Amino acid sequence: MAESEEEVDVLVQRVVKDISNAFKRHPSIDEIGFIQCPEARYNRSPIVLLENKLGVESWCVKFLLPYVHNKLLLYRQRKHWLDREALVDITCTLLLLNPDFTTAWNVRKELLQCGALSPERDLYLGKLTLTKFPKSPETWIHRRWVLQQILNRFPAVGHHKILLRREAEVEVADAEITQHANDHLAQIILQEMMVCADAASRYPSNYNAWSHRIWVLRHMAQGNSKVFHDELSSLRLWVSMHVSDHSGFHYRQFLLKELITDLNLGPELWSNSGPQKQASSSPDSSYLVDQLFYQEMEFCSDLILSFPGHEALWSHRRHVFYLWHQWKEHHRDCSSSRDSQLKHLSELEDQGRSCLSRHGHGSVLMEVDLVSLEDPEEEKKLRGVLPPGVLNLPAEHLFVSSLLDSCCSHEQRSLALAYRKWLDMVIGVQS
Amino acid sequence: MKLYSLSVHYKGSTKANLLKAAYDLSSFSFFQRSSVQEFMTFTSALIVERTSQGTRASVKEQEYLCHVYVRNDNLGGVVIADTEYPQRVCFTLLEKVSKTFSKWTVLVKRRHTPSSDHLFPPQNPREADAMTKVQAELDETKIILHNTMESLLERGEKLDDLVAKSEHLGNQSKAFYKTARKQNSCCEIM
Repeated sequence: MAESEEEVDVLVQRVVKDISNAFKRHPSIDEIGFIQCPEARYNRSPIVLLENKLGVESWCVKFLLPYVHNKLLLYRQRKHWLDREALVDITCTLLLLNPDFTTAWNVRKELLQCGALSPERDLYLGKLTLTKFPKSPETWIHRRWVLQQILNRFPAVGHHKILLRREAEVEVADAEITQHANDHLAQIILQEMMVCADAASRYPSNYNAWSHRIWVLRHMAQGNSKVFHDELSSLRLWVSMHVSDHSGFHYRQFLLKELITDLNLGPELWSNSGPQKQASSSPDSSYLVDQLFYQEMEFCSDLILSFPGHEALWSHRRHVFYLWHQWKEHHRDCSSSRDSQLKHLSELEDQGRSCLSRHGHGSVLMEVDLVSLEDPEEEKKLRGVLPPGVLNLPAEHLFVSSLLDSCCSHEQRSLALAYRKWLDMVIGVQS
Repeated sequence: MKLYSLSVHYKGSTKANLLKAAYDLSSFSFFQRSSVQEFMTFTSALIVERTSQGTRASVKEQEYLCHVYVRNDNLGGVVIADTEYPQRVCFTLLEKVSKTFSKWTVLVKRRHTPSSDHLFPPQNPREADAMTKVQAELDETKIILHNTMESLLERGEKLDDLVAKSEHLGNQSKAFYKTARKQNSCCEIM
């Protein structure tokens, strides 16, 4: 049906206002969506609010989008003036329909910088557009810009250890401010983790969401190993329920790398240039690293056995084993001595769970290069909880062969064989 | 790793009658859920209609896997899951649900109304697996794999026609199907 220009104008103004009002009256809107509706009904607004979800009926989009798009461009070309409030409303409408329209985000950057908009508003808008467009690159990019603005307002932000040291030196009033800043930072990190997790759940292997997650930790949680540890453990369930999500596992590899760097040496461990620094780590941190790797490999084995035929799991195994191999090469001298093994055994017994006993036909025997114990009770405990230092090439080959020996699917078979080939060609040659 | 729907049908001579169904559509966008549910019902019924008695099959359609088991007494169960959810666990569930349902029909005849609270299996497949002991039997059974819904249809039959005629789908869902078929790109606005 042909709409005259005035009718379209009136309609669009109404819709933009409806959206703006919806947000004002319902600050807890948490999702946006489109409602398939080919025709307008009874002159009603196309904006629908149901259970905190904002819906836009599809019939109005062909009028709405071009109109607001043009208006914004005319403003940008200085052919048409819009006041701040109008700009906020128009960019909001635009971005809910098409969040990859960079100009709209840039206008909002200007509004933010002159104080007409708070950074929290943009984080909220971004969170909403991600419910409908979880990959949207421009949304993530803008989000990082906003977070950087927030960070710039913090004193010595992102360097958790620096903040801790400062706390000891400053007076009470300053210490309070620093504590407040720390709390605020922790809150922001938590919110970002949730937004990333939500977007990752809405689209498989959502590279943009996971990259953002990495960025947040790199810029807001440097040196804060507690955050990395928490992430590693809280993500176990998520990756177990998304066993094909390559990006999720890649994130775990990032966490491992950060934790190891934090526990040990500087970043030169991971570079390819010349001879490395002599390992200066204590046996304790060496043990912790061993434990980290071992737990991750155990977790990976568990998933491989429970959910056969997923390439992401085998790829993760390769990455983790390769990291381990590199780290081990670096610390030949610090490899577990008999004393430290025995000392840590009792600690390990409290740690643990095992995947070995759980699978009837898939039980994997791993080498135990400890002194053989005559006590069957001790041996039983050992089968359940193995000390570090057991992660090695022969053990990996044993894992693959016992898997192949038991009945397994065609996909699992070819993945296992490929892994074995990789072990021979990459690790076998290097060690 | 998601289970979206579990439904039980009676495979009649001309069509399948939906007896009971349970859905978990929380991972879908809010405003799409009613259409998604209708499509899942439509798909499940169609699959039961086109599957012979005493057969197990898995039908792949886009990023979904529909697992069906039609018993010799014409009771048919369909599970719609994603590609991560283990196939074996789905068939274990279908076996269990069919048995439970037979017990229900006995109860209904005795005027008891069974609740479907326990019909829907837990989302974590490891919990679901622990629920039953028929795994060993299932390892030997044959499961037919169809790569598309089209392979279930008769020669000359078109999915578009079946959608248009279906009584399971409301007008909104049919319209949604039409636009979705036209736009097959990832750059769509809707």
